[in-house]
Order: sequence, then C-alpha cells, then structure tokens
Amino acid sequence: MPKPFLPDLSRRGFLKAGAAAGALAATSRWSPALADEPGVLNYLSWPGNADPYLVEAFEKENNCKIRIKEYVGGDQMLAVINQSPPGSFDVVLADAEYMHLLHEADFIEELDPADYPLQDYWPEFQKFPLHWFDDKLYGVMTDFGYLGLSYNTSIYKPEELSSYAAMWAEKAKGKVGFFDWYLPSMGCVSLSNGNRPPFDIDGDKFEALKEKLFSLKPQASGFYTIADIFSSLTNGQAHLIPGIGEWITLGLRQSGVPVDTIIPEEGGLQWTESLSIVKGTPKKDLARKFIQYTASPQGQVLQATKVDNKKSIPSIAGWKLLNETMPKEAEILRLRLDAPNVMDEYKAKKIQFRQLPSQQSIEEWNDVWSEFKSL
Amino acid sequence: MTGSPPPGAADRPGSFFIGSRSTAGSPAVFPVLLGLPVLLWQLIFFAGPLVFLVVITFWQVKSFRLSPAFVADNWEKVLTSTAFLRALGHTLTVAGTTTVLATAIALPAAYTIAFRLPPRLRDFAVAFLVVPVFSSYILRIYAWQVVLSPQGVINGIAGLVGIEPLPLLGGAFSLQIGLLTLTLPIAVLILTFGFAGVDRTLIEAAENLGCRRSRVVAHVLLPAIRPAIALAATTSFLLAFGDYVSPLFMTGSKPPTLSIVVVDTVKSGSQWPRASVVGVSMLLILVAVLALGQLLSRRTRLRRGGR
Repeated sequence: MPKPFLPDLSRRGFLKAGAAAGALAATSRWSPALADEPGVLNYLSWPGNADPYLVEAFEKENNCKIRIKEYVGGDQMLAVINQSPPGSFDVVLADAEYMHLLHEADFIEELDPADYPLQDYWPEFQKFPLHWFDDKLYGVMTDFGYLGLSYNTSIYKPEELSSYAAMWAEKAKGKVGFFDWYLPSMGCVSLSNGNRPPFDIDGDKFEALKEKLFSLKPQASGFYTIADIFSSLTNGQAHLIPGIGEWITLGLRQSGVPVDTIIPEEGGLQWTESLSIVKGTPKKDLARKFIQYTASPQGQVLQATKVDNKKSIPSIAGWKLLNETMPKEAEILRLRLDAPNVMDEYKAKKIQFRQLPSQQSIEEWNDVWSEFKSL
Repeated sequence: MTGSPPPGAADRPGSFFIGSRSTAGSPAVFPVLLGLPVLLWQLIFFAGPLVFLVVITFWQVKSFRLSPAFVADNWEKVLTSTAFLRALGHTLTVAGTTTVLATAIALPAAYTIAFRLPPRLRDFAVAFLVVPVFSSYILRIYAWQVVLSPQGVINGIAGLVGIEPLPLLGGAFSLQIGLLTLTLPIAVLILTFGFAGVDRTLIEAAENLGCRRSRVVAHVLLPAIRPAIALAATTSFLLAFGDYVSPLFMTGSKPPTLSIVVVDTVKSGSQWPRASVVGVSMLLILVAVLALGQLLSRRTRLRRGGR
C-alpha cells in the first residue's frame, strides 16, 4: 500500500515529476520511429540472436531485415516491453519462466499449434507446460539447456560431485563462485535441500533455504557477471559454480580450459527459450514465418551450433539433420540419437524447470540474495 | 562564481550607464554573457538531473514500469534494509582506507618528486603520473586481474620458487590495489603541485635558523600544503567511494559496495526509485565529506592569517 507523504506537497511533486517524465521517456524507450517500416522484423531477444549465422537465410528468403533490440535477463525484457508502445516489437524470445507474466499482461498472441512443426519435437517438449495456458499455445520452444554444478576438472573428479554438498566441503572454501542472479543460484541450493520443484516452496522451506544459502558464505569466492564467470573459471578463482551449465563450460572446454558441468543427484534445472508473437503487430505473417524457420530442422541446427552459445534443441528432425551434416558437433553437443544424449537426464527425472518463485514474491527472493551477498 | 562582475565594476557605479549604448561591451554585462553558457550547462546537465534523481525516489514501479507517485516507501525500504546498511558500512571503510593509504603513499612520493629530483626528471615523473589518468581504468583493472589471479603473473613466479599459489585476487588486498590504481596518481599529482608551490625562502629561513630536515617538513612544509593534503584526501575518498569497477572486478562484488547495490537494485525488478535513493544517499555523504575537507583546509588558512 502506498502511504501518502505530506499531501500538500504531493501535487507539486507530481507536477515536477510529470515534467521530468518526458526526459525519462526520451531515454528509456526503444525508439518506435522505425518499428513499422515494412520488411523489418522487430525482434526483442537475448544478445546475439540476430547473428547473420542464425538469420541470414531467413532474411534472404523473405526479403526482410531483422532488427534486434537486445536485453539481458527476463526482468529487463519485461521492463522494455512494458515501456514500449504497442507495435514496437513483432517477435519476442523469452525464457520459459517469464512466459506466464507475458501472457497475464496480455503481451503475446495465442498461436495455432498446427502452424508449427511441434510433432517433430521430442514428446516431452511437444506440449511444454510453461508454454501452454488453458490448453492454448503461446510460445514455440527454440532451444534449452541444463544448469547444474560446473567445476574445474583438474581439481575435482566427477565422483566427488555427486551431490551439491561438495560446495560446503572444506576443499571448496573460498572457491565457490556464484552467477549473480538469484534464480538459478538459489534454485540449486533449494534442490540441495530436497525441494522438488525447487521454486514452489512454503514459508518454512523458504526459511530453511535462506539458512542453507547463508551457510555457503565462507565458501564464496565472488558474485560474477557472465563475462566474469568465464574469467574466474579460467584463472582458477572459482573451482565450483552452481546454477550454470554447458552453455558456459562447453565453449570454455573447447578452448582448452579444464571445466565441465555435472547434474548432481539432487537434480538440475532446465532453462528453456521460446518465440512468441507480440500482440498488436501488423506483421503477424512474417513473425509466424520466422518462428517456423527457427523451429525447422535447418533453423534448429543453426541454433545448436551457434559459435558463442551452444544449446540443446527440442526438434528430433533437427537432431537428425545435425547428425547427418555435422556428426562431430552432434557428438560434442550430446545430441546423438544412437548414443547417450541430453535427453537421458530428462528421462531420469533429474531435471526441474527453472521457474519464478510461486509462493513468495520475486522481491522476497531477491532480498534474500542481496542479503547473502552483503553478509 | 559564474555571473558576478569583476571586483572593479562595483567601485564604479556609473560605468554601467556610461557604457549602456553598447551593453554587450560594458564591463558589467560582458562577464554575465560569458558566464551564461556555464550557468546553462550546469542547469541542464547537473541541476536538472539532480532534481529528477530526487523526484524519482518518490515514484513507484508497477509491473516493471515507472509511475509517478509521491510515496516514501522507497526511502523506508532502502534505509532499513540490512543489505544497504552493510554496504554503506563497507563502502565507508573501504573508501576511508583508500584515502589513508593514498595520502600516506603519495606524500613521500610527492616530496621526492618536488624536492629531490632534478628538474628534468621531475617533469618526466609528472608526465608519467598524468598518463595513467588518461588511460582506460577498466583496462588497468583487467591487467591487475592477469597479474593477481591464482594462475597469474605473481603466482607464476612464486610457483617457480616453490611457493603455493596465494589468494591475491578477490579480497580487501586486491580491492585496495584497484582503488589505489585509480586514486594514487591523482593524489601524488595534487601533492606534488602543493609542494612545488611552497615558497622556497620559508624553507631556507627555517634551515638558516638551524632546523633539521625533519623539522622543516613537520613545521614548515606540511602546514604549508595542508589545503593540498585535504584536497588529495577528499579526491581519493570521492573516487573510491563511488567506484564500481574495482569492487566488481577485483572482488567479484564480495561484499558489495554502494555502487554495486545501485546496479543490483536496477537489475532486479527495474527498481529505479530505490536505486535513486541509494544514489541520493551517496551524494549526501559526498557533500558531507567535501564540506569536511573544506573545513580542514580553511581552518589552516585562518590560523595562518592570525599569526
């Protein structure tokens, strides 16, 4: 509840604020001036997703240009879309845990499942629960990956890391790095407390989670941005990092850094990205074509093999094409159909979805994270 | 400061009317015109944003969107949060330590440069101090990461001698190294100019009266450059207090300083109003420190004037 604060002053404050609002609007809004240009698909996405490697074929085929507005993190994505006038974006790429917020705020269109090659997907992903609301489809999965415990392979053998408990061991003192984002980091600690699902926990379990998290403080080496995760794993500052995955360690390993990711027995988290059509777009057809392209076998192979960010893909047809055309990549990415692959962990029920907290507010979890950092 | 007429103008009240035929050329108006751009600049780029920053602290964020309001919630929430209070304590300690270290290291260095080096070497040293000020700070911090990391230069050399890798990166030590990288060149420069400006005849007089060098330093030099010391100290404090780069890259935000709290607050939930509360609090502290610095240097001037 907002508390009124000296009511006689409030009108003046409001007027001042109104004048200043103009200044803010000028800086914080994605300029819509060019958004309605024909032949331009406005794409709100994580950085790097309009890389020519990914979209060049689509642009040629449809004689259009993809203009990306990049965001880092779901909070920023929601902030951008909330502050932009309708029609600013045609397509949005979102992490699964933010889909219900986009849906509730009525930002995304209902999709016709028949338009997309969902029957090509692994059965587990054909009706991915976080992309469907009231039995209606709102997002088409493009890629996914797992988050577990990443480690330095010259310090640890995988057997030592069968449980997250390794983070509390004497050996890990001052060597546990953290991705500076409450959600995956606290998710792994919640898993280690036996919470399944890890983000849907009652008040008592939340208290227990808080206590467990705080007990990790002597083990912490630091709280890192994505760039610093790479350098701290490389220079040996961190030996263990929970809540990240092969999307970081695979690339590092290929460039010679001794790192790998393990899903401990308490389980791991799955991040999932999907494409949705933004409500109010006049370019629904082009947007639909873009999603079809990304879900097609060719589009899926490109997603999986993008240089800077290796991902797993949900389309079996995509797996087949990858195995035919780039068998080496398929092996590295563990996307082989005739060998152990990324679906094994999923089938062994070790994987929980990364979701937003459901019984507490985002703010409560964030506050705990801030407090942990400041301990 | 900006629009005041020169002191002479006030002594000749008639001058304004005499020159009124071409106002722009009049000695009273011309300085005003000259000062106007500065005033406008200050209003647009300093006062305006500052007012906005304060206004925004009373706004609310509703579904990730800023909406004008007039509530004290943000102040209440931030000022009572343990994370903020801890970060405040930590930042004050860190900036205070940097100030003491920077001043203590800079004083003998500046003294040597100003009094002990031959003129050519002195110019060379000053040039060497100016260069880092204009080179990228982030780049210098990344260089320190390479030097200090567990597999970095120092530990590499230590390893050759058989010393176990030292945890140099990520702690108070590396943080101070980072902050001194930022503050030390500036502190040395200020103090060097301070020493250079001391009237040499005072030193000669003290020596002629039989003072040893240590007494000259303690009783002549240091009192003479007290304003410079106050300036060097406050500058070091201001830079260290608001720095974001060193706490982030040298300690991995462990523990967070206030500038990191600002970024975190925006990052989680687009809480611009709360981040502004932290920002305004930081500004208030800096104003207090500046005032303290002014007070310290002015007291010297008064005392000297009284003697």
